[in-house]
Amino acid sequence: MQKLVVIGAGMASGRLLEQLFAANPDAYDVTLFNAEPRGNYNRLMLSPVLSGEKSFAEIITHDEDWYAAHKVNCRFGEAIVKIDRDRKVVVGAKGEVPYDKLVIATGSAPFIIPVPGRDLPGVVTFRDLDDVEKMRGACGQGKSAVVIGGGLLGLEAAAGLRLQGMDVTVIHLAGHLMERQLDPAAGYLLGRAMEARGIRVHTQGSTKAILGHARCEAVLLADETTYPADLVVLAVGIRPEVRLANDCGLEVARGIVVDDAMHTSDPDVFALGECVEHRKTCYGLVAPLYDMAKVLAKTLLGEAGAYEGSEVSTKLKVTGVDLFSAGDFADKEGREDIVFRDPGRGVYKRLVLEGDRLIGAVLYGDTADGAWFFSLIKDATDVSEMRETLIFGPAYQGGAKADPMAAVAALPPEAEICGCNGVCKGRIVEAIEGGATTLDQVRAETKASSSCGTCTGLVEQVMALTLGDGFKMPTAQPMCKCTDLTHEDVRRLIKSQGLKSIPAVTQELAWKTPNGCHSCRPALNFYLLAEWPLDYRDDRQSRFVNERNHANIQKDGTYSVVPRMWGGVTTPAELRAIADAAEKYDVPMVKVTGGQRIDLLGVKKEDLPAMWADLNAAGLVSGHAYSKGLRTVKTCVGSQFCRFGTQDSTGLGIKLEQLLWGSWTPHKVKLGVSGCPRNCAEATCKDVGVICVDSGYQISVAGAAGMEVKETEALAAAPTEEEVLEITAAFVQLYRETAKYLDRPYKWVAKVGLDWVKAQVVDDLESRKALAARFEISQSVYRKDPWAEHAAADERPRWAPLADLTLEAAE
Amino acid sequence: MMDAALDAVIDGAKLTFVEVSEVWVPKEGRLVLAEGDYGRHTDFAKASGTESFAPGEGLPGKVWAEARPVVLKSFEGSYFKRTEAAKAAGLTSAVAIPVFAGAELKAVLTILCADGDGRVGAVELWKDSDGLLMLDDGYYGAAKHFEWVSQHTHFPRGQGLPGGVAASKTPILMRDLGAGYRFIRADSAGKAGLTTGLGMPVPVPGGTSYVLTLLSARGTPLAHRFEIWDARAEKVGRDGGAVLVDGICAREGALWNDQTERRVLPWQGYVGRALATGVPQVDGSGAAGIAGGYTSIVVLPIHSDGAVSHVVAWYI
Repeated sequence: MQKLVVIGAGMASGRLLEQLFAANPDAYDVTLFNAEPRGNYNRLMLSPVLSGEKSFAEIITHDEDWYAAHKVNCRFGEAIVKIDRDRKVVVGAKGEVPYDKLVIATGSAPFIIPVPGRDLPGVVTFRDLDDVEKMRGACGQGKSAVVIGGGLLGLEAAAGLRLQGMDVTVIHLAGHLMERQLDPAAGYLLGRAMEARGIRVHTQGSTKAILGHARCEAVLLADETTYPADLVVLAVGIRPEVRLANDCGLEVARGIVVDDAMHTSDPDVFALGECVEHRKTCYGLVAPLYDMAKVLAKTLLGEAGAYEGSEVSTKLKVTGVDLFSAGDFADKEGREDIVFRDPGRGVYKRLVLEGDRLIGAVLYGDTADGAWFFSLIKDATDVSEMRETLIFGPAYQGGAKADPMAAVAALPPEAEICGCNGVCKGRIVEAIEGGATTLDQVRAETKASSSCGTCTGLVEQVMALTLGDGFKMPTAQPMCKCTDLTHEDVRRLIKSQGLKSIPAVTQELAWKTPNGCHSCRPALNFYLLAEWPLDYRDDRQSRFVNERNHANIQKDGTYSVVPRMWGGVTTPAELRAIADAAEKYDVPMVKVTGGQRIDLLGVKKEDLPAMWADLNAAGLVSGHAYSKGLRTVKTCVGSQFCRFGTQDSTGLGIKLEQLLWGSWTPHKVKLGVSGCPRNCAEATCKDVGVICVDSGYQISVAGAAGMEVKETEALAAAPTEEEVLEITAAFVQLYRETAKYLDRPYKWVAKVGLDWVKAQVVDDLESRKALAARFEISQSVYRKDPWAEHAAADERPRWAPLADLTLEAAE
Repeated sequence: MMDAALDAVIDGAKLTFVEVSEVWVPKEGRLVLAEGDYGRHTDFAKASGTESFAPGEGLPGKVWAEARPVVLKSFEGSYFKRTEAAKAAGLTSAVAIPVFAGAELKAVLTILCADGDGRVGAVELWKDSDGLLMLDDGYYGAAKHFEWVSQHTHFPRGQGLPGGVAASKTPILMRDLGAGYRFIRADSAGKAGLTTGLGMPVPVPGGTSYVLTLLSARGTPLAHRFEIWDARAEKVGRDGGAVLVDGICAREGALWNDQTERRVLPWQGYVGRALATGVPQVDGSGAAGIAGGYTSIVVLPIHSDGAVSHVVAWYI
């Protein structure tokens, strides 16, 4: 009988032995080494053991009786000293064992992040039962755990520890949880489910150190946030365990290199499981391991078998969380998405198609069809015939195309239309028959569609069905093709539903696309930062190229740089710095702008950070000449030098600019302050214009001097500079809070009416102060120089040329 | 390997914690007996068979009227209508669980227990109050110390069995009740040994969240077999029915299988009947259809969004 030595008693080798013994129980005399002092168990179920939802006894796959029945010589808890391939022996700590065939199934090792404190007691990984025992030992009510890593393993650990009574925080480096398996929308739902369990989730969190003396006490992040930690679980990833293979000279890349028959570079040595690399791919999920085991059993029995790689799918084992992900769902050219959302049930489904094939699927909240989608992916089935109804799963295939009106017509009177307020179809019909013929009347009468608003379309369909020709479907312009909601609806819902991220908006408001589009993302980004200045983190990727790069792109792909000159006032030192920068970076044109600034035109993108740093050093900051935000405050010289000046218009302009700079607004905002009615600063065609008079200041708003030319309209007369500043801040804040994205102030005022604006900003003193206060809260975040941030050394590589910039879409 | 979870349902089968299980269903404005498992308490069965309850009347009627589960620890001087018969049978306390589908009462499941020093176990009712699960009431048999501690503890959402059930809106079967209960167990180690717990949401109209937990002890197991079935469309898909997602049995060991799915269709067996009718099923006849060869079964459907979302079953 040939001698087979197997190193590692995990799930891969366990399945191999099952297959081997089933096919030929007498083919090999087997010796099984395992570093753990126990045999094979179902590692996938370790997290329910941690949570207490399973016992260890339940997850043992091969017990002592099984090994005895198959005459396996078990060497558990014994370390391997070395593999001597010349002598064909495996040397264990308790002696050597000869082999004819050797199988290496050493699995993977957890990746340990290289931070100070990683060796402290209380810092554990999550790979085996010993780790679970350590975690269980540390559990207790009122104790805190920090899980570093929001992937599959980390989240299962977090949920388990939470069930065990711990206060749990998950630190995750990426922007959303499980980013390798999930897109941002599903990641958002998962984050929400975790938070509903009382688990704190900190995304974009980079661990700086694990703090503590005798044992871990806290985790410190790069942003200086600290979380207390009686236990720290490192779950940032795994890497193939290849040390033994390396030591004995086998070919190793990321993993032990194997061919389709699972041979390593030595014909008598085989490998399988997480430790191998097959066709440049390493696997960390169980299905490929089982496929490999099947092939290797055949190879060991002299039969032909070939492993050709595996498609993998993921499920998360957290009770009450239904999640499925398979295939490839990265955004790439030529791919199309089909998205289905049901905010009421917390369902998100996304299918990714390439040509006529399904290549990826992400399901959250409704995973019933996961296996069917997975089989379509694996088999590369042509789905062109069922494309229309594909997202509804196999139950819908072959049926007629759904007519939404027919579906609503077929609903019985007791069918719920508005989930938020529990309003059924019968109640809406009753209200309509009772005289409610507009959506607003139906809302007032029944409350249907008055909360989240996502049933508005359904309510309108019920109205159309009931009123027939008497009902005209509203023609309000939706925000973009991603949604049927208007800008106003979206703003209202962001506030009423407390939505604080783009994935939250797209999921809860049932976006039709996975991640929004170039049209809605900048608008959502603005609405979110305006509504939640302290909670929402500006999403650079949602900005137009000029705002993303903090400079205006020119027709030749170069950029223009405009330093801020407060109120249009500068100094010889600043002018020298600008001149030096122009020379140093070979600026082809230096131009004075209409807004009293100096524009350096023709700057190469890669020079931007260095130029900003130079200008920063001279005290100059970004002029935001590219932003939907405050651009310039143009002033005349005022009473300081001008014979006609009535007030210090220059000084007031500087104060206004210092108040408003850095703020993001729906569109650009320009101000002018003239020292007398001669109006040299041309204040009466600005968004906000101030004319100084003997008695104080006349504030007017909503002017324009572009494609459209419009004189400002009088808003208020203010006796003091302080009042001018307060009214201006309140006006800008009201504009920020209520205007549609990309509406200039004059368009917004035309829509809402100047009287309404006056009432909020001038007449109602309490409202004015509240608006100004909210503006100041927002400015506490945004009143800063973006150049300084982007000129930092570690940011500079991002500005290096990567592609032809002229291909990048300007706004 | 020593496994307390299995032991909890395996050991000793002589003293059962639950003596009687009944299902009361609404009929013409009153609750009438649909099914009952009375075991050896034949006289009590006779007294119950002729009984019916208007809303607010007796324990089932109170549960109906108040639309909430109720624990009744003593019958003496209470609104319990069958006090004399219960006393004669040695039954001392009861738990009544309403089964609501939205606002509609489908049934009331009542569980009656007998007192005695040897009987350790617990039936607890937890109520969500601002995200904290507070003990509303509970019956603990001889586990007096456990009762005291439970009265003085609470679980945030996500923590422990009650918090886990409330957060996931899903029944959970725990083999080890965890740190939340650990200090309690340590205090009565070897005596109570409460380790295995079945927790389930009890939906009622009005938005208050209740969680019912059945905690099983070695020696006097509350049941010998527990099962949790998932019947949500988003889980079972077009094939319908329900799939077994967790379970543990004194005779068959772990019932879950992450490779092979166990599914029942509506009307198929006791679980299938609960699925189809939305009403609890109780049988103490030892009929062949009771899995695992047990004599008694209690099946409780849980409704959500107008349909049965889960079914839990325990076998005695």
